[in-house]
Formats: sequence, structure tokens, C-alpha cells
Amino acid sequence: MALPDDPEDLSPGAAAERTRLAWQRTAIAFGAVGLVMLREEPAAGLLVLVATPLIWLLGRYVSSAAPPQQRSRRLLLVTVAVTGVAAVAVVAAFIGHGLTRFR
Amino acid sequence: MGARAHQADRGGVTSSQHGHPDGEPGAPGPAAEPGNEKEPDARFTLANERTFLAWNRTALALVVAGLGIVQLLPPFPGVPWGRHALGVPLIVLGAVVSVTAYAEWRQNQTALRRRTPMPQSVLPRILVVTITGVAALSAVVLLVSAAR
Repeated sequence: MALPDDPEDLSPGAAAERTRLAWQRTAIAFGAVGLVMLREEPAAGLLVLVATPLIWLLGRYVSSAAPPQQRSRRLLLVTVAVTGVAAVAVVAAFIGHGLTRFR
Repeated sequence: MGARAHQADRGGVTSSQHGHPDGEPGAPGPAAEPGNEKEPDARFTLANERTFLAWNRTALALVVAGLGIVQLLPPFPGVPWGRHALGVPLIVLGAVVSVTAYAEWRQNQTALRRRTPMPQSVLPRILVVTITGVAALSAVVLLVSAAR
């Protein structure tokens, strides 16, 4: 049997599986950031930890059949979450507990 | 995008592509016009999505590194602004990487749909410039701290 041009043709489900795993890694990264934040900024840390299962759930519904509009919104949500975490981190760096150690 | 129309036949996407209209009668011309858009092979869409997610994990790593520098590192002796000068740019870079990754995901998706070449990513350059800058700044902070 000849191999197809693209090894992916042997198991088309692999791409979907890799994508699901990528979503899970992203969710785990959110969890890690939340845990680090928990140490100095418990409120912000909890907020980020709440985002973790949300990202995980977004990844569970990776469907190539999903309409483009819906895919776009889902990815926008990830960007909004990451940007939000960065904003919280900057605020924490300046007016959080970071400030009391600014000497 | 329009300027790339004449390149469309050579294709910006590689590999086999289900539903590629090359052989279809009545669709011989370039596919770059918005009217000729067609949803790409699901595998290309998924690969584009994974690239976006990978950049966002990079962004999160930058944020957590910046936060760690500001909050967990002991202050540099004699350089009170040192930790903030090193950490805050990394956090800001995280936000920039995430937003840029979304913009590039959209551009790539459009390119796939129109079967035009994929636009070049600016993210590696942003990353290299900022990380080099932060590395240089940490050398300065360490030297100033040692001199005092």
C-alpha cells in the first residue's frame, strides 16, 4: 500500500486531537499563572483560576464543523482573557503588594 | 491582499488539500477576490488555531515571568526600580503577543480561504527585540547594582 502524500491522510482525527490537546495545554497554562498570582494577589489569582475550566471547556468543543464566526469569537475570548491577565499583572505590579516592597 | 492575486495559482498552502478547486472546470482563475473565498481544509484551520494557542501560551509565560520578577525576586540593592523595569515590559509584551496572535490568526484564515500565500508573522521579531532589550536592561541593572 502506497503512503498518501500527507501522512495526515492516514488518520484525519489526529489533527483534531492535537488541537484539543493544545487547548488543554493553554488551560493548564492559565491554571499555572493563577496559582502564581494566588501567592501575592489572592483575588486576582482566583479570578484567573476561574478562567482555567472555561478555556478547557472551549477546547472540548473544537469542531471543524463549527461556523467560522463562532470559531473567531472563541479565539477572541482567549485573547481577551490573556490580555486581561496581563492587565491585572501590571496593576498588581504597581499598586498591589508590589508597591509596598518598592523601596 | 489584492496585490498577491497573481500569485494565488502557485498557492500559499502546501500539502494535499481536499476540495482544492484546481481541477474544477469553471474555476481556473486566481482565487484572491473575496467572492472566491472558500472554507479551507479543516486541518489547515486546526493548524492555524494551534499556532494561535501556542502564541497565547508564550504570552502567558511572559506574563508569569514578568510577575515573578516584580513580586518574587528580592529587590536589587541600590536599584529600587530594577524589578519593575525588567518585569513590566515582559508583562506588556505578553499582552502584545496575545493581541497580535489573534490578528495574525485572522489574516492567516483569510489567506487560507482565498488560497493566497500566508502573510509573514511579525511575532518573532517583536519577541526577539523585546527579549533582547530586557536582557540588555538586566545587565545594566546588575552592573549598576554591583557598582553601588
